[in-house]
Amino acid sequence: MKEEKREAFRKALREIKNLPTLPGIVNKLSRMAEDPETTTEQMGKVIARDHILAVKLLRLVNSAFYGFPQRISSIDSAIILLGFNVIKGLIISASIFEFMEEQDVELWEHSLACAVAASVLAKRIGVKDPEEVSTAGLIHDIGKVAIKMELPREYEQISLMVAEQGISRYLAEHEVLGLHHAEAGGWLTKSWNLPAKLVEPVSCHHDPRLAENEQITSAIVHFADLIVRGMGYGHGDDVWVGPLSQRAWRYMGLAPSDLDQVLDEIDEKLWEVKGFSLEVMNEPAPETETD
Amino acid sequence: MPRLLVAADEEILAGEHLTILEAAGFHLINAGSLKAAMSAILEDPPDLLLLARGFAAGGDEKILAAARSSLRRTSMPVILLAPDDEIVKIDWAQCRIDELITLPVSPGELMSRIKLAMARMNRVFDNNPLSRLPGNTSIIQAIQTRLDSGDEFAVCYLDIDNFKPYNDRYGFTRGDEVILMVARLLINGVDEGIEHNGFIGHVGGDDFVFIVSRDNCPNICEKIINNFSMVRNMFLSEEDLEAGGYQCKDRQDRETFYELLSISIAVVPVAANRFSHYGEVSSAATQLKHHVKEMDGSNFIIDRRNGYRP
Repeated sequence: MKEEKREAFRKALREIKNLPTLPGIVNKLSRMAEDPETTTEQMGKVIARDHILAVKLLRLVNSAFYGFPQRISSIDSAIILLGFNVIKGLIISASIFEFMEEQDVELWEHSLACAVAASVLAKRIGVKDPEEVSTAGLIHDIGKVAIKMELPREYEQISLMVAEQGISRYLAEHEVLGLHHAEAGGWLTKSWNLPAKLVEPVSCHHDPRLAENEQITSAIVHFADLIVRGMGYGHGDDVWVGPLSQRAWRYMGLAPSDLDQVLDEIDEKLWEVKGFSLEVMNEPAPETETD
Repeated sequence: MPRLLVAADEEILAGEHLTILEAAGFHLINAGSLKAAMSAILEDPPDLLLLARGFAAGGDEKILAAARSSLRRTSMPVILLAPDDEIVKIDWAQCRIDELITLPVSPGELMSRIKLAMARMNRVFDNNPLSRLPGNTSIIQAIQTRLDSGDEFAVCYLDIDNFKPYNDRYGFTRGDEVILMVARLLINGVDEGIEHNGFIGHVGGDDFVFIVSRDNCPNICEKIINNFSMVRNMFLSEEDLEAGGYQCKDRQDRETFYELLSISIAVVPVAANRFSHYGEVSSAATQLKHHVKEMDGSNFIIDRRNGYRP
């Protein structure tokens, strides 16, 4: 039974074309695209703050059409390779939430906060490519968006279970679907030809022990996820902060005394996230309908 | 079965038009909104694009721009459909399409013009099969046309340093990826340099030529080099990045240490009456290239000989 369900869901994931984006982000980018002074880099900075557009961009650049399958893990590089006109097209073709709920905004904020925290941790630990770790943090919960869009009934069921039984979302997902959002995100990013460097941290962010090659990145994303949850960037109904993986902690090689500084730094950066979030929420809709 | 994307804000083709196209073996994909058209071009590119004029808010130009830069830009013929009384208003120097069909049109003519556009595209044999950029014949023509016009411009010859050892170490497929990467950097670098008269050609292998205005040239070269250094690392293994290069056999079969990939650009500025024949431009570039290749890392140098003042 569970196997069948998993297979059906896997099939549905393969069909996914367009995950919805917050209207504020799309409006902001559309406005920027119309301004002749806007540079590709400026658009890139905004796209790097949205998990849906970022994943869409990476999917495009790693598609067979562009000839770089599983090669490009950096948003900046993707933007350089695709160019301004393609980025503009990407924004025009982006779909926005028809009915935006509180949870959608929170998940976006959580994702961005996780990217920020992952970047601070990556720099602190001294990994070679902090941007890549930050990108993995940004898109780590993409499976959640997919579950909500593709299995709305099950999604409701999961939410209900979380509310009634007071269990974590992760457990409820397992109960209802036979899999959890990390696994779903892993399938999705893999089927979109994203590099393994990004796929593994997404699929292993709840259990970094599963990572075969990207242990450090998976450990950082795992820890960043917990930290920002603990700091109040969670997602609505899921009140539990999951357990910290011992192995992840060892991999990162941080001393408990490092944490104070790291947390302060993350806290400071999260103010910027809040500011950006407010800006996006207040972004006016375009005057002329382009669709 | 060629896939034909019909991007039209309203239904302008009658049932009989569509029937004849389907009967002729076209797989029709309809995009009735700007968003649908963009998404099809970016995510599932067709073999041909039939664009009906009339999308609101500059939508026509946006679709054209996406089609031109989405893939390897020359590969997808674009056919514009426009009402007879509107075509005189179109600025043909800026409108990069391959075929025009005026409305109303008979089903027979519609089909013939689409097939003609495809056939014409296939005759353009000069394009590089990998990058789909124009090849030698077009490059020579592009340089000569500009020389004849008496305009001032800059011809930039780019090649990838240490490309052969890269191919030996990573394999040809990976080498092709690097070629495609450089082609994309050039397309985007030249397009975004606000070049109205820019040109990009692919001589073959790791050799490219691009033509831009003299004023924009240093900025564009700098940007291409910066972008290259940013993207390059995605194409190298962690091990090699750490070591800053790798050991490989050279042409005489000796073990040699090669630096990581970089690019060299030799720029020949063309002032009025400096050259009369494209051959003179390329021989000036050949000497210059020798100098720039001797420098470490990615560089560009501008030819300042022959009394030339920038």
